[in-house]
Amino acid sequence: MMLPGWPGGLAVDGLSAVLLATLAVVLVAVLVHAAGEKFGARFYVLMLVFAAAMAVTVTAADLVLLLMGWEVMGAMSYALIGYLWPDAERVRSADVAFLTTRAADLGLYMAAGFAVAGAHSLRLDDLAAAEAPWRDLVAAGVVVSALGKSAQLPFSFWLSRAMAGPSPVSALLHSATMVAAGAYLLLRLHPLLAATGWADTLVSWVGALTALVLGAVALAQRDLKQLLAASTCAQIGFMVLAAGLGSVAGGTAHLVAHAAVKSLLFLCAGVWLSVLGTQRLGELRGAARRHRPVGAAFGAGALALAGVPPLSLWATKDEVLADAGGGLLAVGLAASVLSAAYAAKALLAVFRPAEGGAFRVPLLESVPLAVLALGAVVLGIPALAGAWGRVLGVPEKSDVRVAALSGVLAVVTVAAVAGVRRVPEPAWAVNWLWSERVALAVAVRPVFALARALARFDDQVVDGAVRGIVRGGRWAAGLTGRRVELRVDGLVDAVGRSARWLAALARRPQTGQVHMYYAQAAVVLAVLVLVALLAG
Amino acid sequence: MNENPADLAPELCVLIAAVLGLAGGLFLPRRRQWQVAVVCAAGLVAGLAAAGVAATRADLMAFDAFAVDPVTHVTRITVLGSTLAVVALARGQVRDHPRETEHYVLILLSALGTVVLGATSDLLVLVAAYLLASIPAYALAGFGKDAPGTEAALKYYLMGALLGVLMLAGVTLLSGIGRGTAYPVLRVGLADAPQAAVAAGVVALLAGLLFKAGAVPGHFWVPDVAEGAPPAIAAYVTTVPKIGAFAALYRFGAETLPDAWPALLAVVAAATMTLGNLAAFGQDNVRRLLAYSTVSQAGYLLVPVAMAGRTDLAQPAVLYYVAAYAVTNLGAFAVVVATGRDDLAEYAGLLRGSPLVGLSLVVCLLGFIGTPPTAVFVGKVLMFGAALDGHYAWLAVVAAVNTAASVFYYLRWIVPLFRRPSVPSPPARGASAVAVTAALCSLALGIGSGIALS
Repeated sequence: MMLPGWPGGLAVDGLSAVLLATLAVVLVAVLVHAAGEKFGARFYVLMLVFAAAMAVTVTAADLVLLLMGWEVMGAMSYALIGYLWPDAERVRSADVAFLTTRAADLGLYMAAGFAVAGAHSLRLDDLAAAEAPWRDLVAAGVVVSALGKSAQLPFSFWLSRAMAGPSPVSALLHSATMVAAGAYLLLRLHPLLAATGWADTLVSWVGALTALVLGAVALAQRDLKQLLAASTCAQIGFMVLAAGLGSVAGGTAHLVAHAAVKSLLFLCAGVWLSVLGTQRLGELRGAARRHRPVGAAFGAGALALAGVPPLSLWATKDEVLADAGGGLLAVGLAASVLSAAYAAKALLAVFRPAEGGAFRVPLLESVPLAVLALGAVVLGIPALAGAWGRVLGVPEKSDVRVAALSGVLAVVTVAAVAGVRRVPEPAWAVNWLWSERVALAVAVRPVFALARALARFDDQVVDGAVRGIVRGGRWAAGLTGRRVELRVDGLVDAVGRSARWLAALARRPQTGQVHMYYAQAAVVLAVLVLVALLAG
Repeated sequence: MNENPADLAPELCVLIAAVLGLAGGLFLPRRRQWQVAVVCAAGLVAGLAAAGVAATRADLMAFDAFAVDPVTHVTRITVLGSTLAVVALARGQVRDHPRETEHYVLILLSALGTVVLGATSDLLVLVAAYLLASIPAYALAGFGKDAPGTEAALKYYLMGALLGVLMLAGVTLLSGIGRGTAYPVLRVGLADAPQAAVAAGVVALLAGLLFKAGAVPGHFWVPDVAEGAPPAIAAYVTTVPKIGAFAALYRFGAETLPDAWPALLAVVAAATMTLGNLAAFGQDNVRRLLAYSTVSQAGYLLVPVAMAGRTDLAQPAVLYYVAAYAVTNLGAFAVVVATGRDDLAEYAGLLRGSPLVGLSLVVCLLGFIGTPPTAVFVGKVLMFGAALDGHYAWLAVVAAVNTAASVFYYLRWIVPLFRRPSVPSPPARGASAVAVTAALCSLALGIGSGIALS
């Protein structure tokens, strides 16, 4: 319990347990892989704190602890993306990523405040029971911050910037932490979304559209890591769609399988980057053939990403789409076609025959690849077997027709891409829809303009008023000093002078001569008789 | 008629101590005359104890002329306590003097006269008490047989003689037109007597009492005696006789209620406090400064006296102020006796040289101003309350202006205390103890005023 009188704390249930296990496995795999790359102590410290923050986030039972984990995770992502800080461009990328997620985080703070007002509780379980206007405000805050963290539209551009970090960072950040946190939060708070009546629909459509649009963006990329980043957005889109549809089992399954696939792909990209010095798809030609184990692992991961049956993401995606209907199903299927296309594009690029000798990869770096590749291949089985629903304690549904359709579509798409050997690269998608520029124009510049205007207001009006008061005070002081002070001073002097004069006068009767004392006493007594007569 | 001599036990204690001391002193060698001081002090302590016991009993009238009431209780305790302090101060000054015994005995007899002055409610006893209080004091003023002391004694005596004669004339006049000398008789008799005769009689009577109180126009002796007489005697004559005089003034005003009393006394009070304060401004001799300060304090004290019978606040104001004044004045004079310095400039650095004595002086001088938590502060509050309650707001304003003005000359004395010491000379031990005790009493009376007043 963080705050006295506000129940909460850390708790592990089915969803938390699944995420903790995923986090642990991916973290170990990434760290073992990173051990081959000789990072410094700072890297491991930051990575461990990053993972610990994620662990707090997924086990928090109240908004205060959740916010603590959430914030620490954001700060660590900043430190890790800008890990190579001497490069100013990387630090700038870290700034963009951090400020974007941080801006969205404000939603969670507002949600906490509204929860106190509306539900009189900070427990995540109690949020759905909040009173009517507050419940909607809490849901809005949660949705904004989760979409920001998960790089969904319109916040997706920060994930492109996040590629500035080392590959192990990308492998962890794109799989079991950070972006997964947003999806996790939406899955966790599905009852709240459902209770509002609008948030679940909104979240479903945002997820589906992100899967579609960012799929196109991924398709247009010529840089392997950028392609993988956009595909992360798209795949998280499926999880967000699942959260909106209430398919908690499907979303969780997709999250776990995607964590294995994406960390595998990023680690492979990292291997090629460190050996070949490039991540351009054109220059990676034949990279998979030059070291067969890494190539095979990448191939398995990319096929899983493409949704080819019977690999993991095919099964989990089917479970998500099984709950969708109508427009959402159509958009989801289109998005899965796009994912098959961009996965095939990456596959094609690295498997295209090319000259160049084999290279060596340290054992430490390749063992985790094998483990993750195994996961990427087999993690669909629990989904097919209906295991997720039993672990999470929620109903699980799958639709054979949808599964068959998406499997066929994926195979056909991959085959088509392999056949025509080139894919359309929509120009609008190459630069991530210019969404960073849009954000600059819509959010950043107005904020700066407002800040400048306020600074001018502060300088000229507020500060000016203060300075004006000071000037007025000095003027009044001068006036008082010249006109009034002299007179008051003169008055005081006059009082003093007259007091001294009176004092001298008062000593005059004390002549020291008794006959004068007698005379004075007699006169005073006579006067007193007069006073007595007049008063009586 | 109540003629129980036990009702006069405190006075009898003092009288017996004086007679025993005088008789014993005749047979004691010069070096052992200190025993007389012990006898006198024992008499005073016994008198204090008797007065304390009497204060717990009901009010009564003894011998048809001696009222035993709160005014008398306070007069007795204040006079006897102050006299004890004066005996302690005098002890260091007249040690092994050829007339040491006479010195103590004269002090005791004068104190006895003062107590009777404050306690009597009969004009004839008042005259007798006036003479008993005054004549030993004349002798004491000239006790040193030096030029300033002799001059002081002569001036004191001559002023006392003139104003005493006027007082006798006033008593004669009042007893004639009032058909009696007891106050209750006078109250009835004066009510339908001719106004002019009453006015003349009251003013003539006042002449003697104002002489004892050191108020205008009987104040002329105060600075000369305070400067010329031995310091311990200066402390005595500016403190003890005044206590009886104010008690007597208050009693006469409250019990006979002459028509012109408030206006007459208000004028005297205003004149006294103003004259005393103004004349104190330029003094460089601390004893003259204290003398004028006592004149101004007499002015403040006359304010509740003027309100006698007009407000219930008058009696506590007179009694509290008179006790506070006695303690404070004795403390200030005790410092003068202890240091033996008369010039204001010689007090530079006293706080560093002898911190306790310096601090006592600061407490007493701030007390004169009426700074909380000293005793005079409470007295002044009651005094202002009495003036406002008696619808004499102008008098309260005059008193307030005078209080503000008085800060000047008291600070003139306080400021040098903080300077660098000039010539270190250790203060006399006995007088220092009296000064410290007086300062502590002033603080105790100020802080414990709630208990004392209830």
